Parts: sequence; C-alpha cells; structure tokens
Amino acid sequence: MEFNDNYPVYETMYQHGEEDGRKIRKKLWRVFWILLGITLLELFVGFNATKWGLTGGMFLKVFFIFFTIAKAAGIVLVFMHLIDETQFFRYTILAPYSLFIAYLIFIILVEGTYTGYPENNTNLEFGYKQQQVDKRTAHGQPIPESLSHIKPSPGVKAHGGHEAAGEEGGEHKAE
Amino acid sequence: MAHAVEFDQKKAWQGGESPFRMSYGKIFMWFFLVSDALTFSGLLCAYGFIRHKYSGVWPVAENVFTHFPFVKAHIPLAYVGLMTFILIMSSVTMVLAVEAGHRNYKKGVVLWLFLTIIGGLMFVGSQAWEWWHFIEGTTEGALRKVWDIDQGKYVEKTIFGANMIVNEYGVPQFANFFFFITGFHGFHVFSGVVINVVIFINVLVGTYERRGHYEMIEKVGLYWHFVDLVWVFVFTFFYLL
Repeated sequence: MEFNDNYPVYETMYQHGEEDGRKIRKKLWRVFWILLGITLLELFVGFNATKWGLTGGMFLKVFFIFFTIAKAAGIVLVFMHLIDETQFFRYTILAPYSLFIAYLIFIILVEGTYTGYPENNTNLEFGYKQQQVDKRTAHGQPIPESLSHIKPSPGVKAHGGHEAAGEEGGEHKAE
Repeated sequence: MAHAVEFDQKKAWQGGESPFRMSYGKIFMWFFLVSDALTFSGLLCAYGFIRHKYSGVWPVAENVFTHFPFVKAHIPLAYVGLMTFILIMSSVTMVLAVEAGHRNYKKGVVLWLFLTIIGGLMFVGSQAWEWWHFIEGTTEGALRKVWDIDQGKYVEKTIFGANMIVNEYGVPQFANFFFFITGFHGFHVFSGVVINVVIFINVLVGTYERRGHYEMIEKVGLYWHFVDLVWVFVFTFFYLL
C-alpha cells in the first residue's frame, strides 16, 4: 500500500459559514427549549407527587428515568455533536458504555442481596436470620421462638448437643 | 446537516486517515468522558442500591431541600430547579461558543464563553449554599440515636443538620452519598470553570486565531456538557426519585 502523506486536517472539518451557522443555532435553541420544558415538567410532577399519591410508585420511577434519558440523549447527541460524528465513532462511544452499565445494573439487581441461600436472596435481613438458624442447628443449640418459622438450609446437619461438645473437647485436647 | 462527513467506509481502516474522521484530541476527550461516566454510574448505582435497602427510613428529598434564598417559605425543589436551569443555560451558551468557533468568529466565542464561565460560577455558588443549608439544618432539629463514647451506648440527642456521622433528616448514608456524589460533581464543575477560564484567556490573546481553528473550544465544550449530563442524572436520582 502506498504511503499517504495528505493526512486530512480534521480540526477544520467541522467549520461552516454564516448561512449554516444560522440554521445550527436555531436547532440548538430548539433543543434548549425542549430540555427546559422537560425539566419544568419533571419539577411540576415532583412538586405534586405527594399530593397526587404517586410517591414511591412505579409510574414515578419510569416517568423520571424516561425523561432523564431523553434529556441525556439531547445533550449527548446535539450539544456534544455525537450525531454528527461517523457511525464508527458513535458506536465506539455508546456501545461499550451501554454494555457496562446494563451489566452493572443487572448485577446489582440480581446479586446485590445475595445471601448464599437462593430462596432468600431478596431480603438481607432474612439471610441473616437464616444464618442464625443454620448455625444453631449445626451446633445443636435451641432455636428461639422468633426464628422457628425458618427451616435450616439443605445440607446443614443437626448434631446432638453432646456430640458437638465432645468434638470440640477433642480438638482442644489435640491442641 | 453541514457537518455530515462523507467517506468510503470500506477504505476507512486501510490507513492514511482516521477511521473516526476526528482529531486526536477530540477522540481522547471522548474516551476520557466515557471512563468518567462509568465512575459516576458506579457511584449512582451504589446510591440506588443503598437507597433501596433503606427505603423505609430514607429521607424524602422534598422534605430536606425546601429552602430558597431570601424567601422564608417551604418551597421544595424550587432551588434545585433553579440550579438545573443555570447549568442547562450555561450548557447552551457553551454550545453557542462552539458554534461561533466553527465560524472563526472571535467576538462570539468571547461573549458566549464568558457567559458560560459566569453560569459555572453561579452553579458552584448555588451548590455551596445548598451544602451550607444541609449542614446547618433546621432550627428545630430532630431527635436521633447517636453513639455516646462515655456511656458506651446509643443515646437520643437533638441533631441539627447533617454531617458524615449523624443526619437530622434520616439515615447518615443519605448525607454520605449526598456529600460524596454532589461533591464529586461540584469538583468537576469547578475544574470545568478553571479550564474554561484558561481557554478564555487563550481566546482573548488570540492563540486560536493564529492557529486557524477553534477546536479547543469544542474539546472543553465536550467536558462542560458532560458535567451538565451528570447533573441531569444526579438531579433525577437525588431530588426527584
């Protein structure tokens, strides 16, 4: 392949004249008004959320996250000119980022409350109680009334109180 | 659009030109912003996780940030709405500075970049005021259980405002995340203002006029818009949800 010495000057590639500038400015101001409108709408809903009984509801979450992503798209694509870049570059920026964030959210939702017991993975406190029950079962200690509804995990064997004590004693002697 | 760059995609990776059709500096500003965006995403995801875990005792932002300068009334979200407006406004002045730079129009760049710096300073100042109010707290305070070293147990005390250990408004984690994430963002805004000032001086002394293009404005503009972008998310997750 022959050597190309006429490397393009990318710095001046995006320059434009007065005529194009007017159109671009019009577009920028339009995007600004859209962003401002969305922000005011969000504030209006946020202001009245308690009054309308929406606090903590799924509607509010979806509503706010949808409009946040819409605003982010406006900023990244128009203000940061990502829409004007080559397709290669758009995907180079957006694809790895989206992939990592999707994975991060997925892993936090799925593994964030992992306790080691698949049936209890949705509740941290429950996992702690489960641990207590397993420990007490393994050592043959009585299980308190408040934990009696929790079954020990599969694989945890109940030892007799004496047997457990004997094993411990044996270990001490060996030492 | 005038900016659209036409080239043969099949030949793009055969050398002799950038497949991205962009200058080195701009490409790496973008790469830096992606890594920075991942940092903020990690922080916000951690915030979301802790918030979900303590959803029962987590303070509602509407009941925390209710103040507005010079007005003695209970106006939730108004002040943070104003801050968002300032930042979006400074974002649009920045993009207009970039546009003026594309026309090699020095006066336009000077005007819009100056307004951007003013907007940035106003935002940092607003955030300082918000922090001050959050640290000072209300005049009534609230009863919270705090660890007493002398007695070796938790005792009920009236707490005013929030810091890293106790929080008048609810669990201390709220204050910790608030200080860390808005502080980290505020630091970004502050460094953005500093960079803008440096570039502004360069524009005034004619560095870019001699160079023949104002691409540097575009690069600092990318950073500035990124700061605005992060605020959009912080605004949603801290104040609205």
